[in-house]
Amino acid sequence: MKITGKQAVFVPMMAAAILLLVITGTALVWSGEKNSKTVLRFGMSAGSYWEVPTGNCYEVIDAAIQRFEAKHPDVKVEYVSGILKTDYSEWLAEQIVLGEEPDVFMIPEGEFDMIASLHVLKNLDLLIERDSGFESAAYYKGAYLYGNIRGVQYALPYESVPTLMFVNKTLLDKEGIPMPKESWTWDDFLALCQQVTRDTDGDGIIDQFGCFDFDWKEAVCSNGAVLFEENGTVSYFGDSKVETAVKFVKELNAVNQGYIVTAKEFDRGKVAFRPFAFSEYRTYKPYPWRIKKYSDFEWDCINLPSGPDGSGQSQLNTLLMGISSRTKQESLAWEFLKELCYEEETQVHILEASQGMPVLRKAAESSVLQSVLGDDVPGSGQMNVQVIQQVMEDAVDMPNFQLYAAAMELADGEISHMVNGDMALDNRLLKLQREINSLLKQ
Amino acid sequence: MSRESVITKLQQAVYILNLAAVCLVAGIMTYSMLRIVDVMKAEQFLRLIEKRPWRPESILITAVACYLCLVFFSCVGQLWNQNSRYARNLILLIEVLFCVGSTVAMNMNYNGLVLLVVADMVRGQKGSRQKIVLGIAIIGLYTILDYNLAGNYLEMIPIDSFIFYFSTGVQAVIRGIISIFRSVNLVLFILYLTMLIQGEHRERERIQTLYEQLGEVNHKLQEANQKLKEFAVEAEKNAETRERNRLAREIHDTLGHALTGIVAGIDASLLMIDVSTDATKKQLQKIGDVARQGMTDVRRSVSKLRPDALEKFDLENALTRMLEDIGATSGTQIVFQNQVDPFRFREDEEEVIYRVIQEATTNSVRHGHASKIWITVTKENQWLTIAVKDNGCGCKDIKEGFGLKHMEERLKLLNGSLEYEGREGFLILARIPIRWGEEF
Repeated sequence: MKITGKQAVFVPMMAAAILLLVITGTALVWSGEKNSKTVLRFGMSAGSYWEVPTGNCYEVIDAAIQRFEAKHPDVKVEYVSGILKTDYSEWLAEQIVLGEEPDVFMIPEGEFDMIASLHVLKNLDLLIERDSGFESAAYYKGAYLYGNIRGVQYALPYESVPTLMFVNKTLLDKEGIPMPKESWTWDDFLALCQQVTRDTDGDGIIDQFGCFDFDWKEAVCSNGAVLFEENGTVSYFGDSKVETAVKFVKELNAVNQGYIVTAKEFDRGKVAFRPFAFSEYRTYKPYPWRIKKYSDFEWDCINLPSGPDGSGQSQLNTLLMGISSRTKQESLAWEFLKELCYEEETQVHILEASQGMPVLRKAAESSVLQSVLGDDVPGSGQMNVQVIQQVMEDAVDMPNFQLYAAAMELADGEISHMVNGDMALDNRLLKLQREINSLLKQ
Repeated sequence: MSRESVITKLQQAVYILNLAAVCLVAGIMTYSMLRIVDVMKAEQFLRLIEKRPWRPESILITAVACYLCLVFFSCVGQLWNQNSRYARNLILLIEVLFCVGSTVAMNMNYNGLVLLVVADMVRGQKGSRQKIVLGIAIIGLYTILDYNLAGNYLEMIPIDSFIFYFSTGVQAVIRGIISIFRSVNLVLFILYLTMLIQGEHRERERIQTLYEQLGEVNHKLQEANQKLKEFAVEAEKNAETRERNRLAREIHDTLGHALTGIVAGIDASLLMIDVSTDATKKQLQKIGDVARQGMTDVRRSVSKLRPDALEKFDLENALTRMLEDIGATSGTQIVFQNQVDPFRFREDEEEVIYRVIQEATTNSVRHGHASKIWITVTKENQWLTIAVKDNGCGCKDIKEGFGLKHMEERLKLLNGSLEYEGREGFLILARIPIRWGEEF
């Protein structure tokens, strides 16, 4: 079978060729407009990532960019300022959809797994392997592992926030109780709570309390329980460690005899213990924030009490930075990422100008920590530097799989019921485990 | 409108339709992505999909550019229809690559381009085995590029994810339009393929008819050839008859004439011998002249009868040529064995030998339909024996025809004899007493 009408074939052929030329021409002209100077784009949100009051949120970044540009004179780092944290994930998503995401960017909270599985983030393993000057051991383990999904390092930690136990020293002194030691346990904790919980003004109503806000999540973590398999495929709510933790929270609540303690009581110095994020601790006392809270007690920090199966670990909340997989300046982006996340100077600067802890052990161990904490704590407040370093060292990484938030929300609702109810725990925890497992299978 | 022009029109329609479909699908994808950003639903969009999409404008540009390249090479492939298999396969490979490029750019949301490539494949192929290979290729390509089967593994983004921000009604309309394009494309493809295959089928039928006609003509030719052979034999026979008539005329004109004169002269001499001896002597003288003249005439006639071959060559060569001729014309294998040396005889003897062998061989071919003939010539004392044996059908009831009779006559002139029998094949034995030593 032969088509004889050659003319008939010629027409579409020539039409296709002409259209093709027009398109390539347009595309070339259009893309030609763009390349002028090497520009490295950076993306971050404004304000504090930890949702605490902050001054100039760009201070650390600006200084790092300045240093980086000094090292690479032909490179300019650009970022869009003023994107609020609440808008940041939408902004980043828009950039991704438009194919214009920054070369290096901050990863929005809870979206790390989603962004990584969309292949938006560059796999850093190869870059890490090639870079002889990079040592992952320099990071706190909990912080570094947060950037790892299914065995692949997609991001580096920039800043971390551990959870500490805030202790009202004035209250303990009044009761004649010494500061608990670092090796304190749940039993010690419970005993102290029982000791301080009483009616001080004699009106028949309890007005001094042992603890506020120590919920099952802290208990589970400090008891060394692991709630989820690493990749978020299975949960372990039925574990005996979890049961012990929930039971303990129940006992702790029972101490208050049904009274619901609030943050207001804590601020008025009526509560002895409260688990606190390091960032909140940093911004609790310094001027001007303390004015708002009228607090006039002295306080100190200590690690969480350890449960019977754990060692008082806390969960580390970490801000991650990653590189776009579409970046045209892979090595520059890597250098800049290192400038932010691996450079000691930047990391020490975080101590001074931000509210989190540096993720580099070396930066956290610098003398700056002592002086900075001294500044934040007026009066006789003494911050034990070693305590914070040990907490960072022991802290476990938060799960980073996509359904973590949803699973925790479900678990939180259920376990709150358990804590306040009278039903047998083991059955309900197993039921919860089943429910969460089926959620994770979706 | 001829079938070919319908095919061409269909092809052009397919090209235009697919261009429209590619522009539509890729355009919707690109427009949707831009709109998603405008209405600030990018995060929601990202949660719906499994892999980061391409840049909005690269989807449209890549899809359309790859499609245009596909059309371009499809046309090139048709213009170079006569070229080698390698060139054609190379072009098909390029087409497949561009097809995959365009389809992947559209995230497999439109797979009609596969049909375009398949149509090009079908056009280039002939024979049943290639059709099977082709069928597998079609199924393979179609399933690979079909979103439902392959899209999930290749992390393609379905069109539904792109248009999620539209109202349900608009979504339905978009899906409807795309599916209309798919269906129309499929219908055109099937139509095109049907026309193409139908054309090939007709071609095959025509070839079959031509082949049959050829066979018929060939058969007729064979028949004609057979007839021609028979005619040749007939013609030879006619020539013989003519020669015989001439001979009869000659005999009548020469020998008859002379004999008549001699008889009349002798009768006159008988009457005259008692009256005048001298006159009788004169008369006898005249009779002698007539007789001599008659002899000369007979000689002349006889010399005219000699076969042409014998005039030109010696007996052996003449026989060989003649047998070769017969053998060649009839396709019979003839074995000629001569044990006589020197093979030279008097003129009349040579002629008889020649004629006997010629006649016997011709009979074997003509009546016996023999495929092999053995001829031996032997000598015993003064007797020369010619044996002609064949493997033909023989003859149980021999009717002496002109040929055999004639041979016998000829031989008798030389005091020879003829024997024959026809039970197994046909055997002729001719014996001639040779007057050896008279001349040679």
